[in-house]
Amino acid sequence: MVTIKDLKFRYSKKQSPLFEELSCELSSGSIVGLLGKNGAGKTSLLKLMVGLLQPTEGSVRILNHQPSGRQPSLLQDIYFLPEEFHQPGISIRKYVKANAAFYPRFDEELLNRLLTDFELPDDRQLNQFSYGQKKKFLIAFALSTKCRLLVFDEPTNGLDIPSKGIFRRVMAGALDEDQLVIISTHQVRDVENLIDRVLMLEQGKFIMQKNLHEIAAKLHFATTSTPHGENVLYHEMVPGGYKVITPQKDGSSSVDIELLFNAISNGTEKMKAYVN
Amino acid sequence: MSTNIFSGKRFQLLVKQHFIHNAQFLLLSSGAYVGVIFIVLSVVQVGNGLEPHRLEIFQGFLIGFVTVFGILYVGHSFPAFRSKESAISYLMLPASALEKFLFEFVSRIGIILLTLPLLFWITYHLQGYFFALFTDQIFKSVGLQYLIKIDDDVPGLVYWLTSGGVLFALSLAFTGAAMFTKQPLVKSLFAVAMIVMFFGGYSYIIIEHVGVGRYNPPDTLLLIPTEEETALRFFTLAFFAASAVMLFVAYCKLKEREV
Repeated sequence: MVTIKDLKFRYSKKQSPLFEELSCELSSGSIVGLLGKNGAGKTSLLKLMVGLLQPTEGSVRILNHQPSGRQPSLLQDIYFLPEEFHQPGISIRKYVKANAAFYPRFDEELLNRLLTDFELPDDRQLNQFSYGQKKKFLIAFALSTKCRLLVFDEPTNGLDIPSKGIFRRVMAGALDEDQLVIISTHQVRDVENLIDRVLMLEQGKFIMQKNLHEIAAKLHFATTSTPHGENVLYHEMVPGGYKVITPQKDGSSSVDIELLFNAISNGTEKMKAYVN
Repeated sequence: MSTNIFSGKRFQLLVKQHFIHNAQFLLLSSGAYVGVIFIVLSVVQVGNGLEPHRLEIFQGFLIGFVTVFGILYVGHSFPAFRSKESAISYLMLPASALEKFLFEFVSRIGIILLTLPLLFWITYHLQGYFFALFTDQIFKSVGLQYLIKIDDDVPGLVYWLTSGGVLFALSLAFTGAAMFTKQPLVKSLFAVAMIVMFFGGYSYIIIEHVGVGRYNPPDTLLLIPTEEETALRFFTLAFFAASAVMLFVAYCKLKEREV
């Protein structure tokens, strides 16, 4: 569904490239986590994917379209929820009346269900909502469009703790097999147990792109009292002991994405080589 | 025509979305426009000893109000481009660049040329009849044809020239709004001032200092129209051509916009 080939991008000729020879392929039926430190270029990459920016070199293709052409037939299959957004001062009901018809697969029943899940009244003005409530509404609207590509930039920023739980639940339950969701975040805990593929971005390159089950088959995540041991690929001190990553033996641990991110980002060459 | 270039259905959706999103703003703006006209006409009538307005006053104020409010309104075209957040929503909306451009053009320039004069005509009559209720003066209605008719003996070419001039001014504000993010109207006027100053200075240097002013070739050689009618034709054509170029620039800006 998404094919990025040898992508190079810079904001201006004077600046050094933000991305160089970036390539990846993402298929439908999965939730992809785009992880990276602040300033790694996550938002810029998402904008390149949805056509808000144009590649300097290389190509980005979504559903066999070039997104920077912004053709309506493609735009009605893409929903991009940016971290900061604009909403008009009208009620949810009016917003839906004005915007839902642009998306041919819009599911109003699903929207009503999601609004109930997020406890959002549909007769209140959007500008009277808090930032978190506005975001919850846009998440609900995005999921209801049933677009084949949903792109969320830091979707859990501003959500309270119960809402983050609801977010994970609705994301898992409201998607179809022909949809692909890309979630960019630096709050990796929020997307744990939700994503099934990880893209890690650092210094203009993907330092890792793997399915979670591949990672789980290779690495074992555990908490121990000592960081030492010949098999320890990476360790981190936590209250009460150490979190460690070792090669997988019995295939029983779940992936600790935050630890994995730190390990890939700050870890040894041995760790990086082992994963890649 | 491919549905990716223009679709009537999507155009209708843009119209519907615009009116739902901006209903309150449009009502308030119309109220402000009508209110200002009513007050100004009332003040002028009181100043003239309550004598009802003559046709010349009607036409003068019509041109004044439509020009000022029109340029202000057109100067705020592409409101989504005023912030990064709204620009993202606007560019990601499933409609083609041509549909968005045409809608913006029709809803700004088209509506101004129709709605503002018509609202002025209605308010003029409301104000006239309102004053007639409390004075002995008799208010004479002005025909709708005077919204576009200047005088019986004005040649048709003058109408074309005026239309071209109005379209040029509105296109300038429209294109400025597509190009600049902050204070587009001020920046557009500044850009025009810079261009005029540049050509003024350039002409001065060429004529006075380079010595072109001392050279007297036949008029036909300079391709400058000498007869009145030819001059009117030349400027009318220039206005329409310049408007077309500016509107094309606005379309390209919309199509290639990056956020």
